[in-house]
Amino acid sequence: MEKEQYDFIGQPLEIKNIGKVTGKELYSSDINIPGQLYAVILRSPHAHAEIKKVDYSEAVKVGAVCIGPQDVPEIIYNERIVSIPEKTYRDRTVLPKEKVRHKGEALVACAAETEEKAWAALQKIKIEWGKQWKPLLTLEKALSDDAPPIYDWVYLGEEKLKVKNNIACERNIEVGDVEEGFREADIVIEKTFHTQRVYHMQFETKSAVCVPEADGGITVWTTSQGIHNVRILLGNIFNLPLSKINIKRITLGGSFGSSIQMNSITPICVALALKAKKPVKLVSSREDDFYDHAKYPLKTILKVGVKKDGTFTAAHCRVWVEIGGHNIQAYPYLGCVAGWFASLYKWKNIKYEGTAVYTNKVPTCAMQGYGNPQINFAVESMIDILAEELKMDPINLRLKNYVGKGDEFWGQGPTVRSIIRSCGVEEMLLEGAKLAQWEKRVPHYQKKEVIRKGMGVARGFHTSGTGGPNPGEVIDYSGATIKINEDGSVDVLTALMDLGGGTWDALAKIVAEVLKVPFEKIGIYNGIDTRSTVFDVNTHATRGVYCGGGAVKFVAEKVKEILLNYAATLFKDLPENLVLSCNKELGQAIIYPREIPENYKTIGEIAEYAHTTSWGTLAYTSTLRQKNCPPCFITHFVEVEVNTRTGEVKIPRVVIMGDSGTIINPNLWEGQIIGAFSRGLGFGLLEETDYHPEDGSLRCKGLVTDYKIPTTLEMPKIEDIIVRSAHTYEPTGPFGAKGIGEAALSSVGPAIANAIYNAIGIRFYELPITPEKILKSLQEKEENLRKRRGE
Amino acid sequence: MKKMEIEFILNGKKRKIEVKPNDLLINIIREDLYLTGTKYGCGLGECGVCTVLLNGEPVLSCLTLAITVDGKEITTIEGLAQGDELHPLQKAFLKNGAVQCGFCTPGMILTATALLRENPDATEDEIRNYMRGNLCRCTGYVQIIKAIKECTSIKNKGLTN
Amino acid sequence: MHNTRFLTQEFEYFVPHTLSEALDLLFTYQDKRTKILAGGTDLLVKMKTLGIGVDYLININEISEIKNVELDKGLKIGAAVKLSQLEKMKAVKEEYPALYEGITSMAAIAIRNMATLVGNICNASPAGDTIPPLVVYGAKLRIVSKKGERVIPLEDFISGVGETILKRDELVSQVIIPEPYKDLGSAFCKKGRVKADIAKINLAVGIERDGDICRDCRIVLGSVFSKTLRAYKSEEILRGKVIKDDLIISAAKRAAEEIKPIDDVRSTAEYRNELARVMVEDTLHIAWERAGGKRW
Repeated sequence: MEKEQYDFIGQPLEIKNIGKVTGKELYSSDINIPGQLYAVILRSPHAHAEIKKVDYSEAVKVGAVCIGPQDVPEIIYNERIVSIPEKTYRDRTVLPKEKVRHKGEALVACAAETEEKAWAALQKIKIEWGKQWKPLLTLEKALSDDAPPIYDWVYLGEEKLKVKNNIACERNIEVGDVEEGFREADIVIEKTFHTQRVYHMQFETKSAVCVPEADGGITVWTTSQGIHNVRILLGNIFNLPLSKINIKRITLGGSFGSSIQMNSITPICVALALKAKKPVKLVSSREDDFYDHAKYPLKTILKVGVKKDGTFTAAHCRVWVEIGGHNIQAYPYLGCVAGWFASLYKWKNIKYEGTAVYTNKVPTCAMQGYGNPQINFAVESMIDILAEELKMDPINLRLKNYVGKGDEFWGQGPTVRSIIRSCGVEEMLLEGAKLAQWEKRVPHYQKKEVIRKGMGVARGFHTSGTGGPNPGEVIDYSGATIKINEDGSVDVLTALMDLGGGTWDALAKIVAEVLKVPFEKIGIYNGIDTRSTVFDVNTHATRGVYCGGGAVKFVAEKVKEILLNYAATLFKDLPENLVLSCNKELGQAIIYPREIPENYKTIGEIAEYAHTTSWGTLAYTSTLRQKNCPPCFITHFVEVEVNTRTGEVKIPRVVIMGDSGTIINPNLWEGQIIGAFSRGLGFGLLEETDYHPEDGSLRCKGLVTDYKIPTTLEMPKIEDIIVRSAHTYEPTGPFGAKGIGEAALSSVGPAIANAIYNAIGIRFYELPITPEKILKSLQEKEENLRKRRGE
Repeated sequence: MKKMEIEFILNGKKRKIEVKPNDLLINIIREDLYLTGTKYGCGLGECGVCTVLLNGEPVLSCLTLAITVDGKEITTIEGLAQGDELHPLQKAFLKNGAVQCGFCTPGMILTATALLRENPDATEDEIRNYMRGNLCRCTGYVQIIKAIKECTSIKNKGLTN
Repeated sequence: MHNTRFLTQEFEYFVPHTLSEALDLLFTYQDKRTKILAGGTDLLVKMKTLGIGVDYLININEISEIKNVELDKGLKIGAAVKLSQLEKMKAVKEEYPALYEGITSMAAIAIRNMATLVGNICNASPAGDTIPPLVVYGAKLRIVSKKGERVIPLEDFISGVGETILKRDELVSQVIIPEPYKDLGSAFCKKGRVKADIAKINLAVGIERDGDICRDCRIVLGSVFSKTLRAYKSEEILRGKVIKDDLIISAAKRAAEEIKPIDDVRSTAEYRNELARVMVEDTLHIAWERAGGKRW
């Protein structure tokens, strides 16, 4: 498709959210309401124990307002309601009623005039514990026949299900006949891979402020990626009509998936405010936050059959995820893992078996990729293993089998699929190889230096939203109200969140482009809440630009139609004879009759006329569901230097190729890719939340001191991070755009692992690849060589 | 606990307030003085998001007792712009896409002002090293370093002329 | 669980302006939980995470007598001197490179603007980054109390994890670092999970060179025992010998055998053993070259 000339799309405009550099931007934790109480939470010291009695009478005596298990509604819910109700598992209440299921689970909350007073009151609470069990911390332990049940039963939709062997849910999918496929193969390889639990480490800890209103309703500011879902859940839990609940859309200090679900502290804050009949502010400490959420880990057994020419014949993928003490949408997670797996390569025959298992650990949830970086690590490591076996270049094996244009993509598990219409995979692999100087790569066995260099490649993608020709199991639509104000400036009211990736800037640009109104005149950043907006599902699934942007484009076009129709009456002409364009000198959108530009009117003048003549407001409100879920692709070429004496890994240079179709905002697009690379570096080399085997506590104790994320010094230098875009156009996206966010992380881990293999000839099947593991493996390799030589 | 009066200069203005000896500077700034640009991140001096300038030097307000700033000068992110005119670093952060969620940005910018005052011609390596204690989960730092580099004196002259 | 958002301890606060005032306070409140506030970067962390009790807090940052560094046949560093003040001094960087490297390896600039050298010593962490270099340079501590003063070697000061021989009415007022031997080569090395982390291992070495011979040497490691550890047997291998590569290799090997590391959240004992050998070897080479010695 021919690319249009844009006024705003693709221009490197500055970030407009000035409050973020002046300290004026408000986050949930910055909201202060006169007369507010401050809340703190008592968290369980046990990982798996029966609650006999909670007595907070002494805390009340010192002036605190308290809630415990006995005070919260009986409603059992899932804090993430993205799936249709009949596919939603439900296992939790606001506070646990009968027992705690992980150490650090919120159990009682106190509110008082200051945090210190609330904390002092908290110390007076007495808990009587019943039976205690040794925590189940691994898949194997949780699945064993003698394991104590973490849940006896849960709900799936309205159906009450008995939980067997601590299995939270399962998902099995078969396409074709894998056994037949493996028989056709010349080589069959099976390997087991592990990815670890990672903490989101978003900088703003989970926070909420709740004001009880005079009419019995509530107003809430909270860390959330989707305010309408929070409202629906709170309405359900507290039995309030949605019209009495207003959730404010407020900037998030990072999230990475950790506020996809309604945060556990949000209903706690609401319950306290309703009981106190006063505003309550609840800001999690970092320790609270560490015990609240983590990334889903994954164990994968992957078996692939391939012919000598590199054609795949079958793949059998078995995965297990230990999800912790609650099921925050593990069922769609298992579906998505299947989808990412199925959509990476043309396996021909597929068998997929997924199992989610409860453990007595922190509940896990989405974190940039919803299973994608986890399964990508297995698949992209396996591709390199197969390439070596086949004596093929890993790039060629990828080119031969990738799922691309015209193929079907599973955007959100097996029920949300669409046909790929834009694909930069080939360009990215070939151009990236040139930029990375792939041809200079030498095999590991030729390397003898102390510091060994290596290069690895891996590719991945993520879906752009969860739309599709059929509704599937996942709710996905966005909406907006757009109005041209009385002076020709424009308000965009959308509930879609900006997680920091520049989604609001992108949406403003899309509206600017449609209405030809300068970017500066679009108001989008604040003053939004559930009451003023139509539904938007969430900023997740890399859907902000594609789905949210698609919706605002759709609504903006309707406004444009209204504007031109109205203008036509002023020009005494037909709307189709009018031209809408941006006059940069005037800083205004203008309308003129075709061929007579000198007879223009600014839309400011037109809007003002509509106002003073009482014609009305030029405005429109609607929602839109995208009918596709196009993949945005990514490819990582990573260079490493492995110090064979210390096991340390340095990443001196990286080439990253991205395919997002049209890029709305190049600066921020690049920022998404580089930021994801830093998180991938942490995931690949550094980060893990591990547990004390006896008591189920976090070994880092919830302190940043012992949970390290990459610093400035771990990243390659400015000129050594090369980011380039593929030349693609997504016909179903707004101005040809797709997403980027989660795609950018998906293949960092395996690219690093493949590079390390290329450097030292050791394949790591488990992340993170720490210096400790590398040095140990190098020593074992040396030992084996010595044995083989008979020394 | 008994409150004590302290007097200090906050963003150029003299302030007199009463604090308890155990009040942390971060909480006084945020909750009593309503300057919420200073953020809580880890509470242990490990992340840098609560950075403020004490007599011009970056310190961590989560590990500073408010009472100890008696007689001293504190600058928070709110005190950096001259009226409506943004500080060059603030402009450079916006221009270079160095801001994503924005939570680390105040601390990042304040630390960078101290760096540039100390070392106006800082190289990329020097910037990386100086900024290493200010963590960012969103950006991967590269655009932040670019923005700071753009404000080093040599480049800056080129920009303002 | 704790909460790092605030302090729960309630205490009385003092801000003396002279050392004798401070010592009077220490004397008066010696039977209470009395703490010295210098940088606060360790004290407040411990108050938040370990909940250590404090009844009286004495802020020593306004005592002018202890805010200076005296440059006179060595260094005399006052108890309120900030780490960042030291790293900016030419004398520290040039004469005591291991100390300079130790300080600049630490944490964030904001922490180094707050924290003091004496504070790092008195915190007595096995991972303290300034302790190995200071032991290498033969640092002594001036300990004062209302009753008098004593000067003791740093090596004798720390008695265990977070424990020192400091009496309750005493205060470390100064670190005294003697003038280095003219051909001393010294270096510091640290490995963490990220750069500027708490050390998996840190170490400092010093070699006094006399021609080709190592006249004397010190090899001091941190994070490998309940306190900073001197690898005496390793030192013995080098002392009085002509320095050659193989000698350095065997000294490094010996040092790795002397340490007693543990598995913890930051690393494993197994890795630390291996890493110590490599780090000692590399750092000895650097120190020997800095001493003006030739490399084989």
